[in-house]
Amino acid sequence: MDFSQLTDAMASRSYDKVADICDQLMLQIASQGVAFQDEWPYAVHLLGHIYLNDLNSARFLWKSVPLSIKESHPEVCAVWKIGQQLWIRNYAGVYDSIRSFNWSAEIQDFIASFSGKFLLTKKYTRRMLELLMSAYSTISIQDTALFLGMNENDATNYVMQQGWNVDAASQMLTVKKQVTVTEQKIDPSKLQRLTEYVFHLEH
Amino acid sequence: MNLNANSVDSLVAEIQGFSGSSQDVNHLNNLLKQSEDVIRSQAATFASCLTQLDPSIHSLGYLYILEACTAGPIPEAQANELVLSVVRFIDVCSVAQIRLVPDKFISICKRLHEQVMILGAPMRAVAPLLTAIRKIQPSSEHLTPLHPDFLQVCLLSKCYKTGYSILEDDVYEVDQPRDFFLYCYYGGMICIGQKRFAKALELFHNVVTAPMSSMNAIAVEAYKKYILVSLIHLRQFSATFPKYTSSVAQRNLKNFSQPYIELANSYSTGNISELEAFVVANQEKFENGNNLGLVKQVVSSMYKRNIQRLTQTYLTLSLQDIANTAQISTAKEAEMHVLEMIEDGEIYATINQKDGMVRFLEDPEEYKTCEMIEHIDSSISRIMKLSKKLTTMDESMACDPLYLSKVGRERQRFDFDDFDGVPQKFNL
Repeated sequence: MDFSQLTDAMASRSYDKVADICDQLMLQIASQGVAFQDEWPYAVHLLGHIYLNDLNSARFLWKSVPLSIKESHPEVCAVWKIGQQLWIRNYAGVYDSIRSFNWSAEIQDFIASFSGKFLLTKKYTRRMLELLMSAYSTISIQDTALFLGMNENDATNYVMQQGWNVDAASQMLTVKKQVTVTEQKIDPSKLQRLTEYVFHLEH
Repeated sequence: MNLNANSVDSLVAEIQGFSGSSQDVNHLNNLLKQSEDVIRSQAATFASCLTQLDPSIHSLGYLYILEACTAGPIPEAQANELVLSVVRFIDVCSVAQIRLVPDKFISICKRLHEQVMILGAPMRAVAPLLTAIRKIQPSSEHLTPLHPDFLQVCLLSKCYKTGYSILEDDVYEVDQPRDFFLYCYYGGMICIGQKRFAKALELFHNVVTAPMSSMNAIAVEAYKKYILVSLIHLRQFSATFPKYTSSVAQRNLKNFSQPYIELANSYSTGNISELEAFVVANQEKFENGNNLGLVKQVVSSMYKRNIQRLTQTYLTLSLQDIANTAQISTAKEAEMHVLEMIEDGEIYATINQKDGMVRFLEDPEEYKTCEMIEHIDSSISRIMKLSKKLTTMDESMACDPLYLSKVGRERQRFDFDDFDGVPQKFNL
């Protein structure tokens, strides 16, 4: 089995490519009739899907993991635990499942880049913050901390940097909506296309 | 025996000699066609000569021999070896050469499919069948007999994402109705796994409304899933068939899917406990149809249906009221449902935890961003492409002798108007 592409992607932290590389490699090896299951990097492969928030693929991959692997590789199960929490949308549970396992050196960076264990701006935390901004006008400090996977102090400080306000009496945060700027300028070539449409309609 | 050995050697020599230019290959194809019986009867002898051929250069000859070798029953001990050689061939063979004999190519791929199923290793055929489809189809608009096989091995080996990749092609050319039925059925199942319910609905709809002269099991199973996916995705189900549905389907499909029709009726009442009771009472029927998982998704979509209906009536509503009307046990749970729906873009709302209220908003889309214009643009050009296709098909049908003779017969006799004026004008 030639894992060089995967090792390269991991080394250069191109984590968004990991899932595709693994998928391709698995199909290629399978077509050669090699029994790859025992040596397959299931943990990395699963995490690759989770990183892209492709939970369907993660779930199907988990279903295809042989029972013997599930029993002998606790790390594979631990990665799936993250996927499971995401699947049932237990937002706070995601952080717990990440923290409750002692990850091997091999995938520690990968995990960190997903969960923001070390840096606050990382993928999942960021996604949660955006969700809160789009769905809430006010939210309790306690819930915010759960969603962001921080303690209440850190969470309050973090969202205040985003311009949110604190109401100390009710322990509530007022969410500052995100203003998104979208490109509205139109290319002149669109005019040409419109002409073509009218031409089509008349003929 | 000697004669046979000679003919084998000479044929192998010819394969080696005539695999260059397209002219040579055509000539070789004629030679091989004539020797087909010999190749078949001497398959074992020819098989041993495969080592003298390079599948990437001598693809045509290699294919004839490989097809002959796989024509008979395959002993279990040789299955693995055979699968490997077919996989290798699919990988390296020359596209131009195999397209001269598509039936033979399809036939070895079918054998590959059959053998990996016997070996219990469907994943082995996923990548090769995908390559095979791309190599044999004249364009991505053509459905091949390999499409259903490919989707089936994808389902069995849980490679849904890979399977989904071919469902994005729009299919216009179909040879065998059965291939199309199976393609849509398996394709629909792949889409369900990927939670692409709109696409799944489209595929099942194709099966249900396809022309058919007699009832078939694929259509019945597709109809059951169509009902369930319609409930999950559209949160309703309309039991009336479109006008173009075959009369066989219109008459019979409902009789074969009674529990599913009843489920849809129960769903439309909006009463969750009633729906749950119905599912429990009919659990066995849904389980036997392998649809219990989907049925459970139908039940959980009911909460969303009820919340979605509230957005049509109210501008603001307390979480407690949402919980009460949507039959959710606590306000916190209602909040989580609302949050989920906001995350999925199903409703537009903001939750105010301080007052325990939800404010429902209008769709913020103003249809003026570049992205939206791109989207509309691509839809228009797809529709234009489709309408051109339709015109071409309409024209070719209007010129079809079979069609004309049928229409002519039905009209019985020509009207006088048909002859009016024109001949006289030309007489001048």
